[in-house]
Amino acid sequence: MAELIVLAGAQDRDLTQLAEYRAVGGYVQLERARALAPTSVIEELNTANLRGRGGAFFPTGKKMQFIPSREQIDKPHYVCVNADESEPGTFKDREIMQRVPHRLLEGCLIAAHAIDAQHVFIYIRGEYLAEFELLKTALDDAREAGLLGETVIVLHRGAGAYICGEESGLLESLEGKRGQPRSRPPFPASSGLYASPTLINNVETIATIPKVLELGGAEYARLGAPPDSTGTRLFCVSGNVVKGGNYELPMGITIREVIYDLAGGIPEGRELKAVIPGGSSMPILSADQIDVPLEHDALRALDTFLGAAAVIVIDDRACMVQLGLRVAQFYMHESCGKCTPCREGTRWLVQLLEAIEAGQATHSQLELLLDVCDRILGKCLCPLGDAAAMPVASYVVKFREEFRAHVDQGRCPFGGASSLEGLFAPVDQHGQHPVLAEGVPA
Amino acid sequence: MRALAASYPDSRSAVLPALRLAQERHQGWLPPEAFREVGEALELTPAYCKSVASFYDMLHLQPVGRRLVEVCTNICCGLRGAQEVLRAFEDELGVAPGETTDDGEFTLRAVECIGGCGWPTVVAIDDRHRLNVGADEVAGIVAELRRG
Amino acid sequence: MSTAELVTVTIDERSVQVPKGTGLVETAAMAGIEIPVFCYEPRLGAAVGACRMCLVEVEGMPPKPQAGCTLSAQEGMVVKTARTSELARSAQNATLEFILVNHPLDCPVCDKGGECPLQDLTFRYGPGRTRMTFEKRTFEKPIPISPAISLDRERCILCYRCTRFSESVSEDGQLVAVNRGAQSLIATFEDEPYTGPFTGNVTELCPVGALLPTQPRFEIRPWELQSVPTVCGLCPVGCNIDVNQREGKVKRILSRNHPELDEGWLCDKGRFGFSHLYAQDRITDPLRRVRRRGLEELSWADALDEAERLLRAAEGRIAVALSGSETNEHAYGLAKLIRRGLASHSAVLPEETGAGLDAFRAPLAAIRDAELVVVLGDDPVAERAPIADLWLRKARRAGAEIVELGPLGDLQVAPGTTAQACRKLLRSELGSRLRTSERAILIWSGGGAGGGSHLAALAGELGFAAKPGCAAFLLPETANGRGVAEAWAAASDEEGAEDQPLGLLIVSGDEAAANPNVRALAERAESVLAITMFHTLAVGWSDLVLPGTSYLERDGTYVNLEGRIQRLRRAAIPPAPDELAWIAELAARFQVELSPHPSLVFSELSERVFGGVTYEDLGEQARLPERAPFAATAESPDEPVPAEAAGGGLQLLRYRPLFSGAAVERVPELQFQRPPPQIELSAEDASRLGVSSGQPLSVRSNGTSLELKAAVNRHLRPGTARIAEEHARRLHGSVEVSP
Repeated sequence: MAELIVLAGAQDRDLTQLAEYRAVGGYVQLERARALAPTSVIEELNTANLRGRGGAFFPTGKKMQFIPSREQIDKPHYVCVNADESEPGTFKDREIMQRVPHRLLEGCLIAAHAIDAQHVFIYIRGEYLAEFELLKTALDDAREAGLLGETVIVLHRGAGAYICGEESGLLESLEGKRGQPRSRPPFPASSGLYASPTLINNVETIATIPKVLELGGAEYARLGAPPDSTGTRLFCVSGNVVKGGNYELPMGITIREVIYDLAGGIPEGRELKAVIPGGSSMPILSADQIDVPLEHDALRALDTFLGAAAVIVIDDRACMVQLGLRVAQFYMHESCGKCTPCREGTRWLVQLLEAIEAGQATHSQLELLLDVCDRILGKCLCPLGDAAAMPVASYVVKFREEFRAHVDQGRCPFGGASSLEGLFAPVDQHGQHPVLAEGVPA
Repeated sequence: MRALAASYPDSRSAVLPALRLAQERHQGWLPPEAFREVGEALELTPAYCKSVASFYDMLHLQPVGRRLVEVCTNICCGLRGAQEVLRAFEDELGVAPGETTDDGEFTLRAVECIGGCGWPTVVAIDDRHRLNVGADEVAGIVAELRRG
Repeated sequence: MSTAELVTVTIDERSVQVPKGTGLVETAAMAGIEIPVFCYEPRLGAAVGACRMCLVEVEGMPPKPQAGCTLSAQEGMVVKTARTSELARSAQNATLEFILVNHPLDCPVCDKGGECPLQDLTFRYGPGRTRMTFEKRTFEKPIPISPAISLDRERCILCYRCTRFSESVSEDGQLVAVNRGAQSLIATFEDEPYTGPFTGNVTELCPVGALLPTQPRFEIRPWELQSVPTVCGLCPVGCNIDVNQREGKVKRILSRNHPELDEGWLCDKGRFGFSHLYAQDRITDPLRRVRRRGLEELSWADALDEAERLLRAAEGRIAVALSGSETNEHAYGLAKLIRRGLASHSAVLPEETGAGLDAFRAPLAAIRDAELVVVLGDDPVAERAPIADLWLRKARRAGAEIVELGPLGDLQVAPGTTAQACRKLLRSELGSRLRTSERAILIWSGGGAGGGSHLAALAGELGFAAKPGCAAFLLPETANGRGVAEAWAAASDEEGAEDQPLGLLIVSGDEAAANPNVRALAERAESVLAITMFHTLAVGWSDLVLPGTSYLERDGTYVNLEGRIQRLRRAAIPPAPDELAWIAELAARFQVELSPHPSLVFSELSERVFGGVTYEDLGEQARLPERAPFAATAESPDEPVPAEAAGGGLQLLRYRPLFSGAAVERVPELQFQRPPPQIELSAEDASRLGVSSGQPLSVRSNGTSLELKAAVNRHLRPGTARIAEEHARRLHGSVEVSP
């Protein structure tokens, strides 16, 4: 087993307890950081080349450097932690909050010091009630122990909206609005929460910071797949594997190793059909591509992304049209409704995929499906539209014969035997199925 | 609700916590008067409060049962049989997804991914997650819930 | 603008120089290139980039289409629109395809057809045919969001212009989006009507046929309408409007953006109020009182003979009650006839506005740029000059401090004591901040007589005359009170003698006819000649009634609360000759020279009081005259302080709601906006009396007793009872209230 970073110590101690966390060196780095100039802290993160773990892979130190100084903008500065983990396939931040809540809090306090913020908001997805409670206890303990100093940390629960995981949607939601993303510029670094300079980072990124300081940036940068994909990730492994779960590993491990060495392979003797490497919004890989190392550059070369490092394994029972339909239904359900291509396009994708799955589509509608994806891609206000179009288009491209078979046979070639057969998409606020019956006024 | 507002630099930020509190006070959903109450406390219009509430899946605009049973039916759970789990709940409770039992005891919902993909199928009962739920365990779960 | 740094931007290979930071949409327009938009509307605040219609290609930015509306001009920027970029062309085409997949395409039965941006942009940039073969999203339609506005959710393209208006312009927070994604829709809370002074603006903001006014539903095709640029005559702001008429009948009223005055917003009274022209009780022919038979029609020839007879019979003992809604020309003509022809000089004039304020003159838009605004008076600004309220909100959003002094204000003073409050203000901390500020505004919104002099004295003391960023506005009760008073004064220098027994009272206009003081004066007159639009206002007290006309039916000029002289143009054919026409005819019978043509009368009047400006000078968007030199006046006289209510009674505060008056009463679509019969009480008084909102109360004073519903108003000063004029009837002074 490789060295654990984010989850270090949690394998044999209950690090939710403050004393236990301190016993493994907890909050020492906070004390060290506070003695350092903010620029030195940021420098260390830059040396480590710590990249954002939420999916955008942006250098964390650089993001901090974008925050203007108090002299430049005379407003309070804010740290927002994105704990609104909602991408299907992703469940790593939840594990971090469950097992190393103090490491997250320590990271928050170091980040606050680095950008001269007195206020930290942790936006935690509403569905994570147990994690919220755990984090709240940890926060109370840390506060009582006087670790917060002048800094205020507020835990803010979401209420069920995927789009609030998008940073500007998160800010809107935190301001008490509908979580619709904002047009950028202005960027959060200069005009974020309450139009003030704001740093937004993912839970895993923030929870990595204390360990980066502990190891030293240079040492951390040797881990994983340097120069860009340094350090470890919590790989979320799900789908058709024997042992799903989170595995913290250095970046650069191959998908094959993840599936067969860690997760116990495909159950019930089935064949591997495809793998989604970074969460449901990422383009899919076929079974013959699983020797790719899970790191940024190698996956880019295959036209997909590491995203939030969520590996979804799909065996040969799954109908790819059904998979596409269910993914499209999710993004339609989660589209915020602000920009046209996403709002209308995701609904149209669902309709087209429904028709294909029902065997009622024509070949030209199959091409239309690709064209609609293309017309969404790159034209939306935020990445959600792309998150729907990218995977669906990749399913068609990679499994075109299967899509064509639906059209040619006038039915699903799986004949009801697909593992995804009959998968039900949630009903909306009004008890209506999203596409089939709608239009009920509020 | 006003105390909630004090945690934030701008009281409007308290709208989600306040709506959640109002939902608890109104048997799990938000009737029109709940929006008036939240609006009054935070100096917002009820229309604004409803506009916000309707954006979020966990804030309910329709009455719900005393217990909320939510089954994840996104792809990761779906690849591992979530539909059978959902169907088992339908059979046990006698309602379709989105419906409430006649006695007002249970509302069954299919929901989007709730973040337990490695442990399918994930079922949330009153926001408490149960992991690795199989269809064969559903009858036992319902019986346990009925016992209270 | 001249001092701003100029940058050069290249758009579709055309170079254009604009001040740095100019919006890209505007920059392109200056190069003669369209960047099409739906959601973009700078008056609603920062661009939101929602509709994605404006996608363009920008060199040096990521290789994907950019939302042009969110960008601004920077030096060396190179932009390609759909004209020269395939990327932009296909992106815009895609946006339109997406908008149309769920649009009902019911253009043949849509009132927006012919002036619909969605139609136009689809024609220019959209796909020629649909690839959507599935069921479209359907909604119940149209639904009324108020009696005045209907909403068709199928046509709605969710550009959020209307909700942004409601949230961040009128700040009423009533019109919102609910649900998420493709299920999103526009709604009010629990289908309650969208209420407030400014709701109708959403019908003009809507870029499709989703929000439409109900008044002209299915009656108009835009290309069949004639548009007449004129000004609204229902309040002293004088918003610039386009009156859309067909065959001489008004079908609707639209804003006509005067950036200094109204910024293209209109209140609902101005927008929807026009249908009073077609009220059932509109007087179309002269009427004469016939003993025991009431009012009977007579011919115009007979009517003018009768008018002449009444004028002669009065032997110079004539008084004229003016409304303040007459045009300057009409008031001047009447004044000339009565004062020069009949040597009678008594008049009941509208509220004095005070020429002294001309030294502190500024456009209403100056409020937007202020850092400190003090509003003095009894009435909320929106009741008297609604658009000024929008400027105040804009100023507050930009960081200005707004302080209200009055019975509803942040600093509470008793009703009717605005003059005293002015004097106290001078010695206060707030007063010294006003004195030192370079961008401060004073607004007088009712609360006692002589407002113009008091306000001018205050502004003078504060040194506003020497500070171009400081200004003072008086919000008078009537639309053209100042013009009417000046026109009356311009007709003669003679002074009127009072106290003689009155031979004839001429009641000019509906406001005068509804004024209880004028009614009281009529009791002392031997005969009454009324000029009014409505039967109800004439019956019972007039001996001769001549049909009145509306501001929409006249040519002429008005002077607004800023002192801006604006042109009225006849937009509708009146059912009877306008006043100036027959006044001129009568004038001739008394050897008074008076033209029936407003333009000629204006020239004559302008020589006397407006410095000789001409119709041409006024144009379609009148400029504000320069500030007058400041002349310190003698200390304004002390007003008597209204007695505080004694013996546990509450001091009555009567007010004229925005939605009241003869016009509003006759507009079915505005009835829901009128205040119900209620008495507003402070929270303190309500709790002392043990009453809550909605409870019926008995309200008494001076032998009058009324039943009104209680309404707790948390902003109201304790000890005050606020009741709308139309519900207060004969109550006055101090009122006793009990459950």
